[in-house]
Amino acid sequence: MNMRDIGSYAFDAIRLRKFRTGLTTLGIVIGIAAIVALLSLGQGFQNVITEQIETGFATNTLTVTTQGFGMGQSGSDIPLFVNDTQRIDDELEDVQISMAVIQKTCILKIGEDTFQVIVRGVDFSKYASVYNTAFIAEEGTIPQNPDDEMVIIGAMISNPGGNGSIIRNVNDQIELIWTTRSGFTIKNETYTGTIVAVLSEIGGFGMSGPSDTGVYIPISKAQSFFNTNETNTIIVQLTNSDEETIENVSEAIKNIFNDKVQVISPTAILNIITTTFSTIELFLAGIAGISLLVAGIGIMNIMIVSLMERTREIGILKALGMKNRTVLSIFLSESVIVGLIGTAIGIVLGWVLAIGASKVLAGFSGGQGGFGGGQMMTGGMPISPVVTSTVILGAFAFGLIITVIFALYPAWRASRLKPVEALRSE
Amino acid sequence: MSIVETINLKKTYMLGNIPVHALRGVNLIVEQGDFITILGPSGSGKSTLLNMIGVLDKPTEGKIFIEGVDVSNLSDNGLADLRRRIGFVFQFFNMIPRLTACKNVELPMSVSNVNRSERKKRAEELLETVGLKDRINHKPAELSGGERQRVAIARALANHPKFLLMDEPTGNIDSKTAYEIIELIKKLNEEKGVTIIIVTHDQNIAKQTKRTVQMLDGLIVSETVN
Repeated sequence: MNMRDIGSYAFDAIRLRKFRTGLTTLGIVIGIAAIVALLSLGQGFQNVITEQIETGFATNTLTVTTQGFGMGQSGSDIPLFVNDTQRIDDELEDVQISMAVIQKTCILKIGEDTFQVIVRGVDFSKYASVYNTAFIAEEGTIPQNPDDEMVIIGAMISNPGGNGSIIRNVNDQIELIWTTRSGFTIKNETYTGTIVAVLSEIGGFGMSGPSDTGVYIPISKAQSFFNTNETNTIIVQLTNSDEETIENVSEAIKNIFNDKVQVISPTAILNIITTTFSTIELFLAGIAGISLLVAGIGIMNIMIVSLMERTREIGILKALGMKNRTVLSIFLSESVIVGLIGTAIGIVLGWVLAIGASKVLAGFSGGQGGFGGGQMMTGGMPISPVVTSTVILGAFAFGLIITVIFALYPAWRASRLKPVEALRSE
Repeated sequence: MSIVETINLKKTYMLGNIPVHALRGVNLIVEQGDFITILGPSGSGKSTLLNMIGVLDKPTEGKIFIEGVDVSNLSDNGLADLRRRIGFVFQFFNMIPRLTACKNVELPMSVSNVNRSERKKRAEELLETVGLKDRINHKPAELSGGERQRVAIARALANHPKFLLMDEPTGNIDSKTAYEIIELIKKLNEEKGVTIIIVTHDQNIAKQTKRTVQMLDGLIVSETVN
């Protein structure tokens, strides 16, 4: 029997059992759709995050920190000081600028309302030079030699709703409250400054670079206000962004601090995030894969039922001289037709679902993207799901393989039936 | 060379733990152009013998030669090839219910890789031969018992078989239709020279054929030429 006849015979057979076939197909559709939707959404999300991180980081910068970074890394037991930058500047080649950042959480007070914000003490001119794509004034100017009371604020502090209703602008006074504790005495220190610049909108997470929700004060003021010379991070800008330079300088800095500090490069962060996302994606796809597995069992189930119902038919086919492998092909074809239809619909549905979900997510985070929503908000950043040909082909292959694997046993059993016994069945 | 020859054919089934001897040493020779009735009460082993000759079942002991070839040496594929050249008409018609009369007749030809147009033409011709020209596109459920049996005969003839095996071909149809079927079979034997073996317990059918083989308890007890 040729392939065309086998195909049309198989198609006739499944057409007769529309409802049952439909349900089995639905199983495959759901499994494949889940895989495609999760993978493409995951990829889209990863792209957005990567892009945001790249915005927040200059690629030729290193971040030196005593805090733990990444999984299972605890903080260092030595502090970093503001004047440590001196040594980095003096001892290392390839270092263009190094600067300390003092970062504290403060309360920003506006009238009766208070908001928690991240205050960063930075050298304005160095900071502007390192983050020359992000630390840019939309209103006002960034002073080269700032006075102590000068403050620069992120776009979201000026315009929390993101809707143009500016509540703080250049020349406005701003009040920052920093709470300290000494024994059981809680003390509020208040800093009053004047806004000299509002940054243009950055987007991104601003992990160590500027962020839309940041408040910036001169480093000297930060030292006196927070009464410390300790710094959370030292940002080092290199003369170039070659991987070798990054590697060498990272090692050299670690040596200076006796391996007690972390040196984080944007590449390293991206790698960690990419790895993390890939793991999450794989995990989600695995869960979706389980649903496809269940669908495969569904296929096996109806094929076995079909086999039992059609034992006599198989007997007739064999009595007419059909070979075992032709019977096998017919039964396999029936499953493959179901699998192919299910997979095709599943891919389209998965894609549609991913687009739908990204719309819903964008709307959701957009609604949440208000002031003080935290450092990690995406601010209504649209996630466009990425349906790559790899995802499509992979889903197709996976769907087909599952179908064939689960159909193989019933088909094999059908092919092994003895004609005389099959004909005797009712 | 005889077309079918069985030598000391034995078949034992196990019914639970009890062995049932369906055939106990059958020797039968069928020549080209023969028209034989195997007659016997139910349980005499006549259907079992027919299944053996149609290579649907294997004997426990003994040998079957089809055109001189020992079928016990054939693989599953070899047996399948042989079945294509044997026309089998079953008592319960054994149509594929979802296929039309024409498609049912085409089926064995499609199994034998006959091309579409050719097999359609032959199926229509065969259905015309058995008097079902008007019923070509009807499904088995829309046909009477007699009509279904005619379709079954047409299907059995589709691949130009070496011989026709018929298991109680009139067992499930009324006597008038049965008479018509017998006339049709006789004509096939007389005019087209088709070798036919019929299994029945109906004496009237036996009288119409050239030779009668009487079976009882798994053995051939007598052979008569009509």
